[in-house]
Amino acid sequence: MRIGRHSYAIDYGHLALITFIAALVFWYLLDARSVSLSVNNLLLVQPVAIFALAMYLFIVPQCFHKVEAREAAKPSSENDPFAVSLSTDRADVMRMAALGVSLGLMVFLLDVIGFDIAIFLFAAAAMAICGERRPLHLLFFSLAVTLVTIYGFRALISYPMHTTLL
Amino acid sequence: MIDVSAFNEALGIMFSSVGSWGWIVPGLIVGLVFSAIPGISITMAMAIVLPMSLYMDFFSAIVFLTSVYTGAGFGGSVPAILMNIPGSPSSFATTFDGYAMSQKGEHNEALGYALFASTLCGIAGYVLLLLVIEPLADIVLRIGPVEMFAVAIWGMMLLGSLGSTYISRGLLAAALGILLGTVGMNTAGFTRGTLGLPVLLDGIAPIPAMIGLLAASQLLSLASRDYIIEAEGSREVSLRKILKGCWGTLKYPGVLLRGSIIGIIIGAVPGVGSSIGNLIAYAETKRTAKDSATFGKGNPKGVIAAESAVASGEGGSMATMLALGIPGGGATAILIAAFMMHNIVPGPSFIETQKPMVYAIILNNIVQAIVLLAVGIGFIYVASNIMKVRTRYVLPAILVIATLGTFAVTGEAAGPITLFVFALLGYALNRYQYPVSAVVVGILLGRMLETEFLRSYQLSGGNPLYVLERPGAMAIFAVMFISLGMTAWGKRKQNRAEAAEALALRQIQEETRAAHTTPSKG
Repeated sequence: MRIGRHSYAIDYGHLALITFIAALVFWYLLDARSVSLSVNNLLLVQPVAIFALAMYLFIVPQCFHKVEAREAAKPSSENDPFAVSLSTDRADVMRMAALGVSLGLMVFLLDVIGFDIAIFLFAAAAMAICGERRPLHLLFFSLAVTLVTIYGFRALISYPMHTTLL
Repeated sequence: MIDVSAFNEALGIMFSSVGSWGWIVPGLIVGLVFSAIPGISITMAMAIVLPMSLYMDFFSAIVFLTSVYTGAGFGGSVPAILMNIPGSPSSFATTFDGYAMSQKGEHNEALGYALFASTLCGIAGYVLLLLVIEPLADIVLRIGPVEMFAVAIWGMMLLGSLGSTYISRGLLAAALGILLGTVGMNTAGFTRGTLGLPVLLDGIAPIPAMIGLLAASQLLSLASRDYIIEAEGSREVSLRKILKGCWGTLKYPGVLLRGSIIGIIIGAVPGVGSSIGNLIAYAETKRTAKDSATFGKGNPKGVIAAESAVASGEGGSMATMLALGIPGGGATAILIAAFMMHNIVPGPSFIETQKPMVYAIILNNIVQAIVLLAVGIGFIYVASNIMKVRTRYVLPAILVIATLGTFAVTGEAAGPITLFVFALLGYALNRYQYPVSAVVVGILLGRMLETEFLRSYQLSGGNPLYVLERPGAMAIFAVMFISLGMTAWGKRKQNRAEAAEALALRQIQEETRAAHTTPSKG
């Protein structure tokens, strides 16, 4: 994006994240106000929400980088061993997203298909996403994870755990 | 300084609950193993094992979790010394001289220095805590709701401002955490943000949210790696040389003392923690040493200074947690969650009413530090192999354990769903350098903050000038604004210096490149 003489790169992911947070905060503020306008209800929530929205306005410009400045900033972050070094490589991002999706599927299917099947399928999927291609390894390790966790947690917790086969 | 009758009762608690002693070694091993794996932090280890403690009695649960905490303090230094890769951020300064010693073939001695410094200073931190907890209890009992609110806000501000490169991002994370912590019905009976879901009436389940933010989000980001770390080949381990290093630690009492004092003070301040304490202790030791030129080239004092600050920081952060009920960071936030799971609220009233239990917790931590010496030596033998585990085996197993752990806490699918939602949020926050620990502490303290604020409002009758009648609160607010201003100024200065350095580096690189390309054209 060009503004005047300068070229700007927009960090859309960051912009989307903070806009989501700001929308969430704004909705929460409206929800709290719709319940009651009493001081006992809004004493903390309202000022903190307004503060969070102010911070959002302060952070938005950080999503726009001058192209030259961005390039110059790269080497310093590479030298910092504790800089957040999440891979931005497309294949890596796809792997992380796939693992996130499979975690979500497992979580929502626990009560539907049973903890045992959901855990087995998730373990196999997660191994495959992380690069395992040998069918026997996929089968036996996923089975081991399922058996150990199901029987282990069943011995530990008092709640009923819905399972289909075990 | 010590309440003798409470101390005797504490010994009674320790010896009457012998079963709890059995949790020390497993806890230490969990802490050592997890923190030795780079990418898996202390808080992540504690978050994963937290649900297991629900089924123990209170004392055993705290013994187990604090053992994990103690083990993790030393575990990170093993890869730091052997491979120049800190297992956790708190072991960063250990790499400076630890790895240099390792390159000289003195890795056994370096591990001995680190282990003995951890043990001695871990004990020192808790002995000091044992001595100050009684006078501290008298002070904190005078704290009213206004002061409590001020302290909590100060803690959140520090967590937000120091936990990230950008103060604004840290403060947004802290504010988001506080708001998430107020979801549900407040003490005045108003219900907000529940989306009509009955499960949210009591608020967001803090433990699944915490496991999602601190553990699952980090695990998702490891999916792109084949091995958690590409390790060097294992090195020969010699017990004799490790013990020689342990013995050698005693030659540097000044370094141990300085490191301990820095560690305790830094550990007690919310939001700072051992990851900064070890760097400050290292820098101070280097600055005051006569042989400062040898630092970074394998000087044992560097290893001892860094490790002593990490180990004693644990006692400091426990002081803040026990006395005020305010977590200094992720690890103590998890300990507070464990207290809450057993319907116990740490803070002034806990110290006053449960003094023997407080002493018993402190005494048990001293025992843990001693046991660490034996377990730590055994651990060094296997440590170099742990770091070579492939992610394809680690990730599914840990994610399943974390998911079932949240189910064990809530007893319904809401726990795993909360974990999933907060894992995604945590991943996104990590990606854009927001301090996740600020959100976690906000969720834990949100309800308490609102309650204390409401009490202050009711006591003052809505008059903001009431704060002028509370000098303690005024002092805390003043310190808060001053420290926030200084942090902002310091970071601005640091960012400018880094930008200038990066620019200079770039110019040098360009000049070098130009110098290399010009002759070939000719």
